[in-house]
Amino acid sequence: MNNAEFIELGIPVEIGKIDKKLGELWDSSDDTKTRASLINLVVYTESDATLAADNAVLASVAGRHACRAILILGNPSAPVSEAKAWISAHCHLLGKGTRQICSEQITFRLDGDAANALPNIVFSHLDSDLPLCLWWKADFPEPLDEKLWAWVDRLIFDSVSWHNPHHQFSMIRHISSSGKSAAVLCDLNWTRLHAWRFALASQFDNAAAFPHLSDVESITLRCAPHSQIAALLLLGWLAGRLKWTLDAENRVFRTSRGAVIPFHIEENPGPNLSFVSIKSSDARFELKLAEGSDFFESSIQTPGIPEICQILPAPRERLEETLLAELSRAGRHTLYTESLEIILPLLKS
Amino acid sequence: MSSDILRSNPLREGLAQRSIPDPCTLVIFGATGDLTHRKLVPALYNLAADGALPPAISVVGFARRDKSDDVFRTELEEAARKFSRQAINDDLWKNFASSICYHRSEFDKLEGYEALARRLDEMDAARGTGGNRLFYLAAGPDQFEVILENLRKSGLNKARPGAWSRVIVEKPFGTDLPSAKRLNDLVENAFDESETFRIDHYLGKETAQNIIVLRFANALFEAMWNSRYIDHVQITASEPLGVEGRAGYYEKSGALRDMVQNHLLQLLCLTAMEPPAGLDADSIRDEKVKVLRSLRPLTGEDVFKHVVRAQYGAGSINGKRVAAYRDELNVNPESVTETFVAMELNVDNWRWAGVPFFIRVGKRLPKAATEIAVHFKSVPPVLFRATGESIDDNVLVIRIQPDEGISLRMSAKMPGSSLRIEPVKMDFHYGTSFGKATPEAYERLLLDAMSGDATLFARRDEVEQAWKFVDAIHEAWLHRSDDLAVYTSGSWGPGEADELTKRHEAAWRRL
Repeated sequence: MNNAEFIELGIPVEIGKIDKKLGELWDSSDDTKTRASLINLVVYTESDATLAADNAVLASVAGRHACRAILILGNPSAPVSEAKAWISAHCHLLGKGTRQICSEQITFRLDGDAANALPNIVFSHLDSDLPLCLWWKADFPEPLDEKLWAWVDRLIFDSVSWHNPHHQFSMIRHISSSGKSAAVLCDLNWTRLHAWRFALASQFDNAAAFPHLSDVESITLRCAPHSQIAALLLLGWLAGRLKWTLDAENRVFRTSRGAVIPFHIEENPGPNLSFVSIKSSDARFELKLAEGSDFFESSIQTPGIPEICQILPAPRERLEETLLAELSRAGRHTLYTESLEIILPLLKS
Repeated sequence: MSSDILRSNPLREGLAQRSIPDPCTLVIFGATGDLTHRKLVPALYNLAADGALPPAISVVGFARRDKSDDVFRTELEEAARKFSRQAINDDLWKNFASSICYHRSEFDKLEGYEALARRLDEMDAARGTGGNRLFYLAAGPDQFEVILENLRKSGLNKARPGAWSRVIVEKPFGTDLPSAKRLNDLVENAFDESETFRIDHYLGKETAQNIIVLRFANALFEAMWNSRYIDHVQITASEPLGVEGRAGYYEKSGALRDMVQNHLLQLLCLTAMEPPAGLDADSIRDEKVKVLRSLRPLTGEDVFKHVVRAQYGAGSINGKRVAAYRDELNVNPESVTETFVAMELNVDNWRWAGVPFFIRVGKRLPKAATEIAVHFKSVPPVLFRATGESIDDNVLVIRIQPDEGISLRMSAKMPGSSLRIEPVKMDFHYGTSFGKATPEAYERLLLDAMSGDATLFARRDEVEQAWKFVDAIHEAWLHRSDDLAVYTSGSWGPGEADELTKRHEAAWRRL
């Protein structure tokens, strides 16, 4: 990528003068601009190809979740060591008024050995006292830099893009179990499942439906070819919640009473997940998501009651929507870790 | 039983911690009225759009006018499109509207309630709502008695085993203590206190709920939240609107009973209460009612020393001439109804001894604002005396509406070689920091009532204690009217209100 292509990332600045230039950027703006920040959002990527898209995502996110954004393009294999920086501001109008709310962004390109300066680059440009959310958009490197992970409050990643998920999940487990990091693990693949989990849970809030949770006979999921991990994570969640154990060899779950629950994952072009069906001996619970729709079609068929059909909010597939959903959530994702542990054996195969 | 299921549903663990509503049927009395169209149906739609409504829900509109289910749904759709905070999705509306039906009946005809009972049984069987019923009294307050009486006579107030039956009562909860007691007795005849949800929509606002978080989740403030550090508190609710076609109601109520008895005293309670034992409904309401009991009663001549009432005269709002209150349509030309009240209250307990709480509320004031301003005491005038600089006190402002947020005024040195001290403001705006739209108060309150969480609803003893306090003031006013001041529309009220604060060497905030 040449410098011309970087122009839309903002004003080029010397790394040592970033704070000064940011100050000038705000000084030059008029009084109607308000600077706001709730978090430090650092995005690390090694892909030139997605940089413009990442920049657009940050601009969109900053409009709804005020942040100090730091976008870092690392290229450790570049032959020449070089570090460059740009600054910019993302502004949006507040409500119907004329006041502009602005978040600032610093963009870095770290080539060659300069990529090793990543922790320092991050540490020296954080907005103090605000949480650090690190969105890691590359494979996790070995060895892991513990100094960096120790500072991270929320580690964001997206397992949908991993080519070797078993290895990457093992790295994640290492980060979280090493005791060096208290970072909350935030898999955007899991974030997308929130609406599915919410909709499935609400299906069983019904008094007529609830008893069927202990009577499940089979589960069928339909997912896009690249979204097997999402389907498995959803299965892991169901298994964890209902105290089933995995028989990885036979690809079935077993209940505490010894009943066998087969599961089927069908691949189908379309949304990451498009269909979940839970069948018991005489009831059926289904969620369907049509491509491009913002809503599930929920159907509950239980004996003695007419079918209950409902429209429920579905996950937003756009990346910025998923990231915003994750940023607006607090607390640890303990069920994610539990679900991951259950399905890990299936990722080996 | 239904709530037990929700609590034991293992799939619920780790999901959003908001209230989980039971499947139920919501019956709205006064379903063709303004409240239903402007607030309730848009709120229900937004809950549906957020997936917060239970899988099985039915909404029954109960009113006197003759109309079909389809006509009723069409009217509600128009209202939802106009007043919903989210755009209406056609598919979602269609699905939600399929749960709505209309039941025509006079409020005073028992047969109409008996027919409703049969219809609800059929709907329970058809929709799996499990016999849970939530009755919303959105009709005029003069209809509450007959509705409650007929609910009782028809047996609709009694829940079947394993189900529940609840009632939401809109304000006003009476017009004075005797009428509030009478209304509460009527409610109590039909519903247990735990089944009664008295709405004060101010409590459903995010910023009102945030008062508890601000106070008890920040060591910085709670440590200083007492008479040692706080000089006085000002609570303001101002609006530029006049009586706006509500003269019939307003002539009988006035600002004291319309606003102070409920909204402003609730805000005062949240500001002044002790830390509750827990976040459950009764722990919080116990503490709020203690504040009301600690209010120093105002009776007789004390009322005229500590309370100022006034009525707006002609003036201008936003550059437009507006009429005096007495010249408004359907207002008695000799009316003594107050459109403005300012008062000095004292909470006689250990924490607040000697700290006045100034309250002001009024119509035809320069702008719309509701806020709580906590004024801290001055620093000892020692260190900067020689410089001749006056130092403004610290003020913490909790803005309830509009532009919800919190600001803190403090002093800072102006840059330069001389020592000049100026006030600066640290400002937190909900809209700036959290880009997403906050839910409307009615969304939260409806969801809580469906879930049986009464935290944000007023309890009987709170309501009656507030009336007891307000009635004493009103009683004193009945004996004379020469204290009624007139203020120019578009001003911040009469000069007499300024005297209240001046006595304590304070001044009303310039909003």
